Amino acid sequence: MSQAVLDQTAGARATTHEDAVIRTVDLTKRFGSFTALNQIDLSIPRGAIGLLGPNGAGKTTLIRILLGLAKPTSGSAEVLGFNAFSEGIQVRERVGYMPEAECLPSNATAADFVGHMAEMSGLPKTEARQRAADVLYQVGLDEERYRLIKGFSTGMKQRVKLAQAIVHDPSLVFLDEPTAGLDPPGRDSMLELVDRIYRMMGMTVVLSSHILEDIERVCDYVVIIDSGQLALAQRIGGTPAEGAQLSIQIDGNPDQFIQRLHALGIDDARQRDRMTGLPEIVIRHPSDRVYDAVRDIAVELDVPIVSMTGRTRSLEDLYLQAVGASALDADMYGGV
Amino acid sequence: MADSSMTTQQTPRAFGEVYDRGYQHYTGPRLGRAHAFRALTGYSMKRALGAKKRWTAKVVPVILYVAVALLVIIPLGIQGFIDAAEILQYWDFFSVAWLILGVFVATVAPEMLCGDRREKTLILYFSRPITRLDYLMSKLLATGLLTLTITLVPLAFFWLGRQLLADSPVRAMQDNLDDLFKIVIVSVVVSAYLGALGLVVSAFTSRKAIAVGVIVVAFLFSSALAGVLQEVFGNPDQKAWFALISPARTITEFVLGIWGQVNSDGAFGNPLETWIYGAAMIVIMLICCAIMYWRYVPED
Repeated sequence: MSQAVLDQTAGARATTHEDAVIRTVDLTKRFGSFTALNQIDLSIPRGAIGLLGPNGAGKTTLIRILLGLAKPTSGSAEVLGFNAFSEGIQVRERVGYMPEAECLPSNATAADFVGHMAEMSGLPKTEARQRAADVLYQVGLDEERYRLIKGFSTGMKQRVKLAQAIVHDPSLVFLDEPTAGLDPPGRDSMLELVDRIYRMMGMTVVLSSHILEDIERVCDYVVIIDSGQLALAQRIGGTPAEGAQLSIQIDGNPDQFIQRLHALGIDDARQRDRMTGLPEIVIRHPSDRVYDAVRDIAVELDVPIVSMTGRTRSLEDLYLQAVGASALDADMYGGV
Repeated sequence: MADSSMTTQQTPRAFGEVYDRGYQHYTGPRLGRAHAFRALTGYSMKRALGAKKRWTAKVVPVILYVAVALLVIIPLGIQGFIDAAEILQYWDFFSVAWLILGVFVATVAPEMLCGDRREKTLILYFSRPITRLDYLMSKLLATGLLTLTITLVPLAFFWLGRQLLADSPVRAMQDNLDDLFKIVIVSVVVSAYLGALGLVVSAFTSRKAIAVGVIVVAFLFSSALAGVLQEVFGNPDQKAWFALISPARTITEFVLGIWGQVNSDGAFGNPLETWIYGAAMIVIMLICCAIMYWRYVPED
């Protein structure tokens, strides 16, 4: 590209499709006979985006294609209005990337390396040093920035990785498993930082993770990939009417209770499978009439209601709907 | 009066207050790919010399720079006292300083590539606005420029010193400009050649120590191999071609040829045309670049 100074404000082409920052059409990536991504069609808006899927689902491959680092086998991908592969340089000028793997030079100070990465993104030397100091302060490494990285804890290294990803003030930042290897407090504080990047710094964040809880806590939009297939792409939560549920625990026979509900025309009632504890009945789309019916049936059958919990549709529900219960691996609940 | 005292009370607090400015967006210029290329070249050169590393990382480069400085300063000093004593000639420099050059390249080239591979920093570089080819060219340029500091700089200093020792320095400079031109040509070709050889070895390992060892052994072994092969297989007309196996021998013959001199040891028979040595260095350099391209550039 020419030496022209880039547009400093938007820094991106006007995008279509409801201001989508990422758009893919029939995106496919094969490694030999293995299909890592299969005909992915996406249109992702600005915001905090969760890229969810089990290990090996194709998340990192998708990020590498969006960064212009890997060539799709077929289909196309646009990031901030630029073709991700043929205009990879323009894309990488405007996005940040925090890889999952260890990638920091041990024999450099945080200030030196992050400043160098800012220069590598096109910032003049003086501005790069200043930005490095500012951003390291923002990620909580103010005092430690002149120490060699090899003396840092895992959490501090993750912060340096995050700092280098945002030092050039990108419009969009890809974070690949930013909580990997962190203990619970470290994970908590990393998620807070990620949340700040989106809410305070105004950058669109794509958070790739296999942990439901991380995505649910930070993101307002989720893309679920499973075995290279796009399983779901939609906002998390939705309207209460759309996703609300009523969960009832009773100390009695759930089948009889559900039959009575069905008899009153409340068809969305079912028993939730539970390995232990009291039976649980879930009723979708609860209205005032449902609450009244539950009360009346409990009185009629003389069954104590132990708990009643109303909740909106969770990410877990979305995941189950998209991928199925068998894929809801135990590690997706964030065990560290 | 009351207002005035209030002002004096408030002023120190106003100056001493620390404000959290929050996050500030960057609104300055973004200079793009060429700037990133320059930044990588400069940073690689500094890091290879041990800048912003522990003092132990600076020891070897400093010793080598001191050694090569002494190599040109001592002959100049002697010549300053004894006019006729031309201990070192331009064409002798590379054969005399060969060990220093070899160790320098063996020190610098692995620093350029091995660390980025071992610590997986490559992925961060490739997520910046450069291509994989830019990365390689930047490393090649950085190695070449650093090698020039130990070839061109001391030789140019030596040339300048010799002219200043003449009775009429300005006249001497004008008369010997062709020597300076030859120094530049020879230094650029030799630096690029040695740099490419060092880098191609470094491209195959992430361990610096292994790369250093392989480069040193390859430089030494290649000379021995060339000597043995020309003894065993070379007839008098073909002997000279075996010199191309050895970087040391190739450089020596090329430099001698540029200044119109002939190697006095005659071990490889009659030398080839000078351009053949130059062309051989350039071809080997291009082969090294192709190998590095094959190693780094293919996309997933």
